[in-house]
Amino acid sequence: MRWLLSRPWLWAYVAAIAVWGATLAFTGGRGGAEVMTAAFTFATFYVIVGLGQMFVVTLGPGNVDLSIPATITLAGAIATKVMDTQNSMILAGLLVAIACGVAVGCFNYALIILLRIPPIIATLSSSFLVQSTAIAYGRGIRIKPPSLLADFTTAQIHGVPVLAVSIIVLSALMAVVLNRTVYGRFVTAIGQNLRAARLAGVPVGGIRFATYVMCAAFAGLCGYLLSGFSGGASLSMGEEYLLTSIALVVIGGSSVAGGFSNVPGLWGAALFLFLVVTMLNTYGAGAGLRYMATGLIIIAVIVAASGKRAVR
Amino acid sequence: MTRFTGAVSLLAVAAALCALPAAAETADKRIALSNNYAGNSWRQAMLRSWDKVTKPAVEAGIVAAADPFTTAENQVTEQAAQIQNLVLQGYNAIVLNAASPDALNGAVKEACDAGVIVVSFDGIVTEPCAWRIAVDFKQMGKDEVTYLAGKLPEGGNLLEIRGLAGVFVDDEISKGIHEGVAENAKFKIVGSVHGDWDQAKAQAAVAGILPSLPDDIVGVVTQGGDGYGAAQAFAAAGRKTPTIIMGNRQDELAWWKEQKDANGYETMSVSIAPGVSTLAFWVAQQILDGKEVPKDLVVPFLRIDQDNLEKNLETTEKGGVANVEYTLEDAQKVIEAAAK
Repeated sequence: MRWLLSRPWLWAYVAAIAVWGATLAFTGGRGGAEVMTAAFTFATFYVIVGLGQMFVVTLGPGNVDLSIPATITLAGAIATKVMDTQNSMILAGLLVAIACGVAVGCFNYALIILLRIPPIIATLSSSFLVQSTAIAYGRGIRIKPPSLLADFTTAQIHGVPVLAVSIIVLSALMAVVLNRTVYGRFVTAIGQNLRAARLAGVPVGGIRFATYVMCAAFAGLCGYLLSGFSGGASLSMGEEYLLTSIALVVIGGSSVAGGFSNVPGLWGAALFLFLVVTMLNTYGAGAGLRYMATGLIIIAVIVAASGKRAVR
Repeated sequence: MTRFTGAVSLLAVAAALCALPAAAETADKRIALSNNYAGNSWRQAMLRSWDKVTKPAVEAGIVAAADPFTTAENQVTEQAAQIQNLVLQGYNAIVLNAASPDALNGAVKEACDAGVIVVSFDGIVTEPCAWRIAVDFKQMGKDEVTYLAGKLPEGGNLLEIRGLAGVFVDDEISKGIHEGVAENAKFKIVGSVHGDWDQAKAQAAVAGILPSLPDDIVGVVTQGGDGYGAAQAFAAAGRKTPTIIMGNRQDELAWWKEQKDANGYETMSVSIAPGVSTLAFWVAQQILDGKEVPKDLVVPFLRIDQDNLEKNLETTEKGGVANVEYTLEDAQKVIEAAAK
């Protein structure tokens, strides 16, 4: 129990369950399972980009990747075009999407390191370039994804989305990477104290490079799966993932100043963000009230989570 | 006899003068398009239509230039600076799709004071010196309910998908829908979500609210760009697909066609053609030509029904929006209608 209470990610889950309960209270218990299915389905995409963003944020103050939405769009557009509805091209599409992410990641890091631009500005400006490329390349194109990919991304077994399960496995893997591998410990060390980490012999440049590339690769993966899920790529498909990816990290109990992160919180936060919108929609609240309530709830969760940390 | 021929030749000269294209008056005039956003398929189509119509117009010497400018960040300050630059560059008219209905008024007033004609469309401005080519969004919302009332005489539960919260267009369409429902008491709106005119967002929002709604939803009233996402969400929830009003996007029309061929699915689709930018171009040209043009004009809707679906789907490119480009005559008709 004490172990559980000291977990920084606890509050995201508490909030998610509370919001879910509030929704059910309104509907009289109807549709609870279906709401959860939908929440897991959409939370999956949030978590994919959240994983990458979390590693970047862990690198320390000023580290954030703002090019995620543009990368999602570009990877989705290129992948659907490469696959061109052919089931035999699914694997090629995946590789192209991830390669597209890797390319953006390399470009981001090149801007950061070679031109000495702060990461926020570097990734923001590269996101303009990437988005423009997507517009020029896709011209708002919507090619249907291959049927097998569409089936996989929307498949459910007894109400459990298959894709969500796959990404939970991936998350577990990334949790091991963060906590149990040399790479993960290096990332955390850099975030806690860059100077100390460098003096301790951490290859700072290489680790940061790998992290930015990984983050962009996850964005590429998200674009690929998302275009399969929603019936094709569109120019605005990545838009909502910028603030969401950062919100996940913060609400999930990771430190926005870096050096202190956890993976489980991402899922709690992702479910919470989806369920809040669902709850307010179900209550039929006006848009103004909805935004206010969302803001207040998020502040409350963050305060609760960081309060715990101060006590520690 | 000489007097008679003189009169005739005078008439002939007068006739010839009248027959000269209106273009001559504006041949040295330069028109700029100031656009606040280009990041979705509607805006892309809008810009392409602009090119398609204005390039031949420039080549034919109707105007000297018709250059499009888009701001990168969809921000008021940026667009205000852009308008000031266009005035300094000596454009005679600015066709404006504004980032805000009132925040650009200062820049627009400056342009007017400098003698520049400002014609706003789609995203209109409230500054009195500018012309407005507005859409009767309220009527559009009402039309959706009227269509459903005709198709579903028994009425039933409706789901409303709204656009981007806090935007004028969203409020107007929604008002029209609610007015329509008030007039047709057989319908009841049981749920309302914001889909931000984006199919992925609409899909997530609808998927979230569906479990809490009654099983017998007969219709979905939308604002465009969200119909396909709604259809996906209904399918994913294993529910019967209701009558979903579409918004002229190619993916929506393609899905409708698929359903129509498979099971005779019926609906209708309504939106504003992105080519409205070309209507604004001709209106600006007419004003420069010295024509009397009322300050408030109304754009016609582009509506697609069961029988002209195939034709419209064919002419709509993949990932685009059903579109029409307007001609000088169309603009004159719109001006006449407003002058009445």
